[in-house]
Amino acid sequence: MENTKSFLSNNSGVANSASLIKGLQLFIADLRLSTQIDDQEKRIHSELIKIKQQFESSGKQKDRNSKVSGYQRKKNIAKLAYIYITSNTNKLDDILFGLKEIIILLKSKVYSEKFMAYMTLEMLFQHESVVEKIESDIIQQLLIDFESTNDDHVALALNFIGIVAGLKNNLALNNELVDEVFNIIRSPTSSLPLKKRTSLSFLNLLKTNPTLLTNNLQRQDLWIQRIIALFDDQKNYRLMVSVLPLLTYIASYIDTTSCTRLVPQLVQTLYDCIMAGTSSTVNSQLSKEYMFANVPNPWLITKIVSLLNILIVSDNEVNSDVPGALYASNIGDDVLGKLRTSVSKVIELTTRETHDQMEKMVQNTILFSLINFSSKLDTTGTATINSIRTLCTLLVSPEVNIRFLTLDSLIKICTIRGKIAIDEVCVAKNLTLIIKLMNYEKDASLVRKIVDLLYVLTNTENIKIIVNQLIKYPMKSKINTDTKLKRDIAIKVSVLTERYATDINWFLEISLKLLSILSNSASQEELIWERLCQIIVNNPQLHKLACEEIIEYMSTNNTSESIVKAGAFILGEYANLISDKYAIGDLFNLFSDKYFLVSNETRAMILTTILKLYRFAPELGSVVIKFYQLELNSLDIELQTRSYEYLKIVQLSKMNNDSNLLEFLLAPIPPFNSKTNPLLKRLGNVGNSTPTSAMPRPLSRSTSNLSHQISSPTSTTSNFKPIPPASRSRSSTTFSKNQFEFDNTSTMTDSLHTKSTNVVNVNNNNASYMNQVLISDWQTSFSRMLSFKQGNLYTSPFLKIMFRLAPFSSTTTTNLTNPDNPYKITISLIFLNQSEWPINGLNTELIPYKTQGNPEYIITDTSAITSNTILPQKRVEQSFSITIRRPFDANTAPIMITRYTCGGSVNKVTLKLGISTLSPILTASKQINGRSSILTLSDFVSRWRQLRENMDKEGECQLNHLILKGTKNIETVKNVLNRIGFDIVDQTNIPSTIFLSTIIHTKSDGNYGCLIKINKNQLANDANGNSFDIICKTTSTGLLSKYIVDTLQYILSL
Amino acid sequence: MGIQFILCFNKQGVVRLVRWYEQLEKNEDTQAYISSIYKLLSSRDHKNQSNFIESFTEKTKLVYKRYAGLYFVMGIDTKDEEAIHLSNIHLFVEVLDAFFGNVCELDIVFNFYKAYMTMDEMFIGGELQEISKEVLLERLSYLDGLE
Repeated sequence: MENTKSFLSNNSGVANSASLIKGLQLFIADLRLSTQIDDQEKRIHSELIKIKQQFESSGKQKDRNSKVSGYQRKKNIAKLAYIYITSNTNKLDDILFGLKEIIILLKSKVYSEKFMAYMTLEMLFQHESVVEKIESDIIQQLLIDFESTNDDHVALALNFIGIVAGLKNNLALNNELVDEVFNIIRSPTSSLPLKKRTSLSFLNLLKTNPTLLTNNLQRQDLWIQRIIALFDDQKNYRLMVSVLPLLTYIASYIDTTSCTRLVPQLVQTLYDCIMAGTSSTVNSQLSKEYMFANVPNPWLITKIVSLLNILIVSDNEVNSDVPGALYASNIGDDVLGKLRTSVSKVIELTTRETHDQMEKMVQNTILFSLINFSSKLDTTGTATINSIRTLCTLLVSPEVNIRFLTLDSLIKICTIRGKIAIDEVCVAKNLTLIIKLMNYEKDASLVRKIVDLLYVLTNTENIKIIVNQLIKYPMKSKINTDTKLKRDIAIKVSVLTERYATDINWFLEISLKLLSILSNSASQEELIWERLCQIIVNNPQLHKLACEEIIEYMSTNNTSESIVKAGAFILGEYANLISDKYAIGDLFNLFSDKYFLVSNETRAMILTTILKLYRFAPELGSVVIKFYQLELNSLDIELQTRSYEYLKIVQLSKMNNDSNLLEFLLAPIPPFNSKTNPLLKRLGNVGNSTPTSAMPRPLSRSTSNLSHQISSPTSTTSNFKPIPPASRSRSSTTFSKNQFEFDNTSTMTDSLHTKSTNVVNVNNNNASYMNQVLISDWQTSFSRMLSFKQGNLYTSPFLKIMFRLAPFSSTTTTNLTNPDNPYKITISLIFLNQSEWPINGLNTELIPYKTQGNPEYIITDTSAITSNTILPQKRVEQSFSITIRRPFDANTAPIMITRYTCGGSVNKVTLKLGISTLSPILTASKQINGRSSILTLSDFVSRWRQLRENMDKEGECQLNHLILKGTKNIETVKNVLNRIGFDIVDQTNIPSTIFLSTIIHTKSDGNYGCLIKINKNQLANDANGNSFDIICKTTSTGLLSKYIVDTLQYILSL
Repeated sequence: MGIQFILCFNKQGVVRLVRWYEQLEKNEDTQAYISSIYKLLSSRDHKNQSNFIESFTEKTKLVYKRYAGLYFVMGIDTKDEEAIHLSNIHLFVEVLDAFFGNVCELDIVFNFYKAYMTMDEMFIGGELQEISKEVLLERLSYLDGLE
């Protein structure tokens, strides 16, 4: 018998036979002996009675011998669990009497007993009737078990939550329980196995109740930080595997931004894992942990990739629904490079021969996971083309699973990447292969995938080939084509022909062929013939041809009902156009023949058609009347009514010999103007996004082509694509226009984000900036950074951060005296570990005041921190640049959050960086401003006057009575301003006054001149220091002078 | 996201293991649900058809594999990637095999609670929580030895 044979290879197990429960084994063996279902039922029934009795008597005995009764209880409950399973969950109601005893067993201190109780409950919790009865008892016990010092008991409680909290119950709403679970994540003393379990149990709670975090922003921030801290130990891949799904959930549904800063770290791990897994020399312990079945660890890889998939959006997806995600173009080159290398390594790997089943499976898992992801990052297209080439070779794989995944992957890439991918798949060789595959594939679900793929691939060039093959498929196929697939193909063909056909005759031919092979039942098919009729009506040049073709189809014996319906409508409208070839009387006969072969709905249509035919040929009067009279007694009320009404109309017009009424009633149908093709709704989800955006739109389909058709609708040339209903074509023009605008915005955003790196968010609002809580003495380092080129930014017993500002130097120019970008500065940060323990998980997040809507400054070229770990007394570095696009308020300078853990403490430092519109002056070396440009006093005065004449008070800012503490006198102030880089007028005539000038550089607004007068207020000598007055004039009418004075205030107050 | 349920039944459709991580649709009866899966899978051609059922329901895909007389089935989210779950199933079976030593259906019948123990050491909240066979076996034999 097969069930005694092992599934796999020879192994000697480690299961302990001593832990067997004899009574249970006997019961199971007994049940298996009775082959008749009746016997089994009897056996179960008698066992249930026995168990019930035992439960009752043990209740009376008051635990005389608790050890024995615990064992008995465990055994009986195990039997109940078995009955539940073996009855395919059908006997739930028969075992509910045991719930009370399960709760008692749950309280046991013996592991195997507690385990049995939890295990049984985990199964039964799918049923609400069980949950209602015992939920509160269980929560109580869970809280007790969480407090236990026995890790095994805690693990059982965690398992329980990890398994059932996703079901319908109130566990996730219980704060006490949630706190207990989270405490294990938080506590530095929790063991690794418990932490792993906890992060997944917590995930389960969070999935059920996301408000756990979202209801309390402070908690959200703090808890997410703690969870991210679990990720710090990069060497611990086992913990990572458990934490990644939790982070993925948080990134998807709660807070993307806080996770984006992990991107460089995630990519590094992915890269290490793949490099270790693919290298031929595997020795180190680390590489061993990255391996599985001789290949890179697929779980680690797929989990990292699915998180990256959330955090990174492709540049095409401008309207991503994940706020806070990174655009692919914002990822640093080093990170991107690692990702690309990873993909090509994995592609290489799949060419490796292997006979191990598991290994092969794992290889492909990794391949598809990475290929699907990589198309997002590809800016040049070469990677996409490579991926597609690899995938196309896998299409002929003998493994059906691989073919399935390959097709799936191709559909995804073509949907995301559009033309560049589609063109590559469509090279003749591949297209032939795909079509061949469709005809030979034996798995219907694969055929469906191929149909989806062909649908995505279709464009104006290959429409004929693809549609001809699709339409042939149902007749040719080797498998029983189910009706659903047939219908699916029909709808797709109909949409494709309308969208891409350039030959109107061919369009009609295919559409009618499609109708002719449709089965007669499905309601969806209504849409197809209706749509065809709309198009024919709107394209006058089709009227005659359509009539002729339809008559041909209708003359065959097995006309499909859809054809009859289309015929009933079209011939009724336009039969007069072909009266030279076909007598109206013949058409009447044709319809009266079909009449008895079709459904009532179609019959009703034919009744109308007959009336319309009568209009063209009044001589048919008597046969038409006879025909209607036949149906006067129809059981179908619709047919009866129509016949009666139409009969009256015919009789009336005959009596008066007046066709006016008929002409009036049956005036030609006006063009249709339904806005969209209703069939699009039936398409389901080919690709991932909504049908309209997922549609591959051939680039060649220009609006001029379309308008040409609109302007010459009467053209008789057959080489035109069909004109869809009028207003739809209008809407499709606007659509292309939108598309155009849409592309515009996307390139704009791209250029805004050009090459800036990891942590510039796509956030629309400034909420994330405004919500930051800065550390208490942030102003000191902020002011220091405004006035010094280098210095300390932050100091704590653990970590010291130092900054250095420098003019931006691009690699192309070394000419420091004349920099290309005087409005751009580079900030280097040095992080120094001052403690005795290593600092882990160090990362920074830069939050600019805004990133969209024409930001004043942008952060670019952010390099990754050289290492996320700093050993004691060691340092790491990071740098980034800021481009000042226009003057800005120093109070909106970027905020930097630094996060790290050290010796078990999790730390977060939020600082405002001292960057202002004056920073470029500070960083520029003195020579650039040039001694020669220093003004004399008379120059200064004349310019000052000039500014006042031209601009009056506009562009001026005055600040009186600025009290500077200490002994600041005019000389010290002068020194500070000189150091900052202002040009100071060399004069001694006017005492206690400083005249300054400088040029402010911005990228978008150009340069501004700036004059400042500072004088020490002699009279108002304050006890706390000296008082100064500042007046600043600039050539800008905006707020620039105010920004400068504000900044000076910070600087001078230092 | 993640595994919605794990099922194991034999060729006759008799359930051996069942674990739900997500609630079934309203009013969906567990027994009817399981038997519809059984009907679907048992009618499939194992040589020429894949191990994936793409749209079992609106929200669920199936990934399954047959080992001798037993089907192992996972219900997963429609957005998840199928391939890794096939590896999940295989890993689970490998661990069962190592734990019981030449595991066969009878082992799972008579020691169903140990099979559950194995499952729970591997899958929590619909996610795989441990992938090292050595670690798992050590842990399982420790738990199995507890009183």
